[in-house]
Amino acid sequence: MSIFTQNRSVRIFIGILVLFTLGVTVMSEAYGTGAISVSFTKVLGMTLCLCLAALAMDLVWGYCGILSLGHFAFFGLGGYGIGMWLMTARTEAVVRANLAGGVIPPTEAEVSQATALQIFSVVGAEDWPWMWAASDSLFLSLVLIVAVPGLLALVFGWLAFRSRVTGVYLSILTQAMTLALSLYLFQNDTGLRGNNGLSGLQNIPGADAIGQDRISIWFFWASAVALGLAYVAAAWLISSKFGNIIRGIRDDEQRVRFLGYRVESYKLFVFTLTGILCGVAGALYYPQAGIINPDEIAPIASIYLAVWVAIGGRGRLYGAVIGAAVVSLLSTYFTGGRAPDIALGAFRIEWVDWWPVLLGLGFVLVTLFAPKGLGGLVDYIVRKDRA
Amino acid sequence: MHLLRRIAISLAISVFLMPSARAQEASLQDILQTHIEEIADPSRRTVGETLDALVATGHPDLPEFLTRWQSREAWQRDADGLFVYVEDEDADPLVLLDISTGETVGEAGSREVTQLRPNGGVRRVIGGALVQFQLGAEDPAARLDALEAIGDDPDESHLPLIEARLEVEEDAAIHARLDVLLPTLLIAFAEDDADRVAAIQTLDGNVSLDARSTLNRVLTTSRFVDAELPADINIAAILTPGTGALPRDEAYAMLVSAELAPARISREDQRAVLAANIVEGRVGGVPVATLNTEAARDRAYAALVAEGLTEPIPTEQDVNAALNAHVFFDAYSEPSAIVTEAARATLDNIETRVGAYRFFDLSLDGISLASIYFLAAIGLAITFGVMGVINMAHGEFIMIGAYTGYVVQTLIADYTLSIAVALPLAFLVTFALGVLMERSVIRWLYHRPLETLLATFGISIALQQIVRQIFGTQARPFTPPDWLAGSVTINDVISISSIRIAIFLLGVIFFIALWLILNRTRLGLEVRAVTQNPAMAASMGINPDRINMLTFGLGSGIAGIAGVAIGLFAQVVPDMGSNYIVQSFMTVVVGGVGNVFGTLVGASMIGGLQKSIEWFNPTNTLAAQTYMILFVILFIQFRPRGIIALRGRAAGD
Amino acid sequence: MSSLLEVQGVSVTFDGFRAINNLSFQIGMPEMRAVIGPNGAGKTTFMDIVTGKTRPDTGSVRWGDLGHSLLSMSEAQIAQAGIGRKFQRPTVFEDQSVHDNLRVALKKPRGPIAAILDRTTDTDRARIAEIAEEIGMAGHLGTRAGILSHGQKQWLEIGMLLAQDPKLLLVDEPAAGMTTEEREHTTALLKRLAETHAVVVVEHDMEFVRRLDCRVTVLHEGAVLAEGSLEHVMADDRVVDVYLGR
Repeated sequence: MSIFTQNRSVRIFIGILVLFTLGVTVMSEAYGTGAISVSFTKVLGMTLCLCLAALAMDLVWGYCGILSLGHFAFFGLGGYGIGMWLMTARTEAVVRANLAGGVIPPTEAEVSQATALQIFSVVGAEDWPWMWAASDSLFLSLVLIVAVPGLLALVFGWLAFRSRVTGVYLSILTQAMTLALSLYLFQNDTGLRGNNGLSGLQNIPGADAIGQDRISIWFFWASAVALGLAYVAAAWLISSKFGNIIRGIRDDEQRVRFLGYRVESYKLFVFTLTGILCGVAGALYYPQAGIINPDEIAPIASIYLAVWVAIGGRGRLYGAVIGAAVVSLLSTYFTGGRAPDIALGAFRIEWVDWWPVLLGLGFVLVTLFAPKGLGGLVDYIVRKDRA
Repeated sequence: MHLLRRIAISLAISVFLMPSARAQEASLQDILQTHIEEIADPSRRTVGETLDALVATGHPDLPEFLTRWQSREAWQRDADGLFVYVEDEDADPLVLLDISTGETVGEAGSREVTQLRPNGGVRRVIGGALVQFQLGAEDPAARLDALEAIGDDPDESHLPLIEARLEVEEDAAIHARLDVLLPTLLIAFAEDDADRVAAIQTLDGNVSLDARSTLNRVLTTSRFVDAELPADINIAAILTPGTGALPRDEAYAMLVSAELAPARISREDQRAVLAANIVEGRVGGVPVATLNTEAARDRAYAALVAEGLTEPIPTEQDVNAALNAHVFFDAYSEPSAIVTEAARATLDNIETRVGAYRFFDLSLDGISLASIYFLAAIGLAITFGVMGVINMAHGEFIMIGAYTGYVVQTLIADYTLSIAVALPLAFLVTFALGVLMERSVIRWLYHRPLETLLATFGISIALQQIVRQIFGTQARPFTPPDWLAGSVTINDVISISSIRIAIFLLGVIFFIALWLILNRTRLGLEVRAVTQNPAMAASMGINPDRINMLTFGLGSGIAGIAGVAIGLFAQVVPDMGSNYIVQSFMTVVVGGVGNVFGTLVGASMIGGLQKSIEWFNPTNTLAAQTYMILFVILFIQFRPRGIIALRGRAAGD
Repeated sequence: MSSLLEVQGVSVTFDGFRAINNLSFQIGMPEMRAVIGPNGAGKTTFMDIVTGKTRPDTGSVRWGDLGHSLLSMSEAQIAQAGIGRKFQRPTVFEDQSVHDNLRVALKKPRGPIAAILDRTTDTDRARIAEIAEEIGMAGHLGTRAGILSHGQKQWLEIGMLLAQDPKLLLVDEPAAGMTTEEREHTTALLKRLAETHAVVVVEHDMEFVRRLDCRVTVLHEGAVLAEGSLEHVMADDRVVDVYLGR
């Protein structure tokens, strides 16, 4: 592909990603020395998914100027999509095993009923909600992972862009959408188990014999492949005339319109495409996380996504990836209790507590003093290197 | 009846008029001894006069004696006719206690004393006299208790007592209770249907829960099934199986439990029957391993039926035939149709009125929710609406206001005083924070609104975490003073808590004050000048830096005051601000950016809307919020600039 | 000469202020027209109406031989129909190179998919080179537009206008910030364009207008005050009043 020959940053990025993936594999428990634990492999895989979401966020915000505070909602929808299948298939297997002990073999209806009871008794229900209709088919679930976030983004975007809601108004509107979605999911009677969410997603149906050590590295690979493909595709997209146009929209929407472009179509295209990307990222993320609940979709998560991109440096694909990786890994490090506390005599700085303060003030500092983020730093070093 | 009434009325009057001091003159024992025959061996006919006389003395120990007498816990010493209580009925010898002092007066074998055993009729008369005592009690709470007791277990004998009490009762709440209790008793015990209907009609327009439950009791129905409709029964409704009121399965279940039809067998039961009939790995000739479809199971079961090993399952036709052969109906437990009709009509009237009151109550709720949204959003109306700054830390200013209230309350014990101190202090604290934030961060970002959003979000999570460090995650108590803690109750339908009224008033004050500040003061003029054209304003001698700083401080300070108000009814926790931030932005956007009036309209619309949605599904406030937000999203499509929109070039398009 | 754009009885009000008051205007093809008038005469609002940015309260705007109404069309549709606009303040995509600015403007299919699949063909490359030559930026194709001088940005925007290949060009103060030499170049370019296009030039600079040597429409308080050759309108007392503020 010509994108490799033309674009140095794509070559470098893919190179680093390949090296990183190989490195993790070599150090993994399943295929290597075991220096990286299963749980840390999962953390790394999840981080790659977050990088993918940040990449999407960078396309929609950094390149097209739409500060969406709703893209993590699409991420969550993807997670719920795969989660429904995982939970159904897994529970059904367990239920079958239990019923097989009976004197008379179970009918399909009995299995289905018992599975539903198993899944929904926690919210006091025993029937399948309509939205689980596709949950017994992996193929349909995969279709939904793309279709549901895509459709929501399409409808919402169409409404918003058509009436030319822009800037902070659009941000507030997307935030409202996210809040509405999370409130909807929080309800017990809407069919997605309310605030219990979906759990046990790390158990891959039919793969009981395969240990989590291998499954974790497989998901890590899948996440790396998805990120790599998305990066190349995004780089290709923004290097095309389309990229020039959406950057034009970001900088001067009216000018693009007077050049004869239907700005709404372009925005809708980017919004929907990135919504789908986030859905796919979520579908890869939650089997590694093992659990999803409506808290994940709360508006604050989407703001964090924007913050990662801002810290990484928006308008640069690698900036988004750097931001997401650095901030989320640091967060895991500091809130995971691994960081050494700092003793100051009687007072003791515990990182778990003070990390959010540091993070919050970090955003402020980056916004004020490094509007180009960490990516800007990379640019600076590279330029210096060339000069 | 007449006798009873006479006794009751005289009792009532005597109790009421009797000065209690007179009672001290003679001991109860002496008084009782003057009626020794009647008490030892009372008859239903004569006991009334005796009680009359006893009550007339108004002796303070009398109720206790009457209670014991009624419950057969009073004794008489055969030797001298002395009335006593005993310490322990089963002891031997019995320890005798004085009826006034409770002191031991001696011991006696069970043959030396006689237990007073008034018969049922007498006991009821005594009970009436007792209730009368309670109804005449000084303490209104005791009187209300007596009424509750009557309501729980009404008796015909209470009727005259209630009537008598109704004439002299002065306490409004008790009077209202009596107003319902009297018809309740009349409906239950009046002999003539016309009287009962009249009693029902006196309840017309009474929206109290008691009145409604009285009428509903008259309208209690039970569901029956029979081969044909019985003639002598007060039918409420005839039901058709398979309709909403009576699902088909339920109807058939009624037939089954009335033994009018054979039971249908559930899949589960069928499975159990099959499991019980496995012979050499087969059930009715069908291999067990293949019994994993319903069709196979039906075949096996049919085979079992053919072998006579189990009952046949009724077919759909059987079920239909059985349902068609019977009539299902609801019947009133009240036999008189005239009474039930009157009750239905009265209840319908009341329900209509209740509906109107409910609507009014809902409107009050809507207004109070709107006031809360308005309070939460009004600071934003200034920082976002007027200045265009997206302040994600706005919710944290509300939170800090609430915590200021909590801290002040820990220092000043008097709740009223502490709130009076907290309001201005919260303003000062958040004003200072706002100014600090504006000077250090926001002023560098005026031309980058989206980045303001991120920076202030960073400040928001930092502030939240700092407060969490200081005060912990659990909710802190911030208690309203007593005069704010209660609620104003108009009737059983309409009631509103005082704190909500206070919040409404605070909202009104804010609105007027801000409107005046923005439209009638020099500061307001300068604020508008700076927001519309900073360069021009600067050239007119206005210092835009100073104005921006003050405006942002003002908006933040108002958020602090709102926080005090919100903290009084909401939980004071570090992340309470995030509950308000999205709604507040929506309020400002829906109302129309740039004016306080728009925020008022936006808050009214969002608050009213949310309550209206709750009206349809009162149990699910989450759903109401969800639909409200969806509505707002759609609304923005049609009025992107809000309800009160600025047009033309000033709007900056 | 058939009429290309016909504006009839258009009025528009902003918050009670009548920006355009029963304005009628007509231009044929090919033709050069200068629109002059004092500040606040409604020149920019007039352009806003024609390009679809502002919707008039009353009146009609018709386009082309078939007389399609422009009022029901979006800005993008109007631009695609062949109306190009150069703004008063140069608006180019500062973050992108001169080449990319021109490439975005180039007359090609405007849909998102077409934009993704678009490849710069030899024809495109030739056309971009030709325009760059015309606007004196042949050596600057790789330069980021943001670091161009004010005059160069003006030129670039004119270049973008050329790349669009519109039938009607609305040009708002093209000569602002240009050197005398550049102005002459601009005049020549506009005159040459007017041989095959309809060109409306809004300008303050009378000297520039004089050099265009075309029909002049004088706007005042949202309406046409006078129309004709420059000599003709300058002889009109009302025009003199307006300009000298008597």
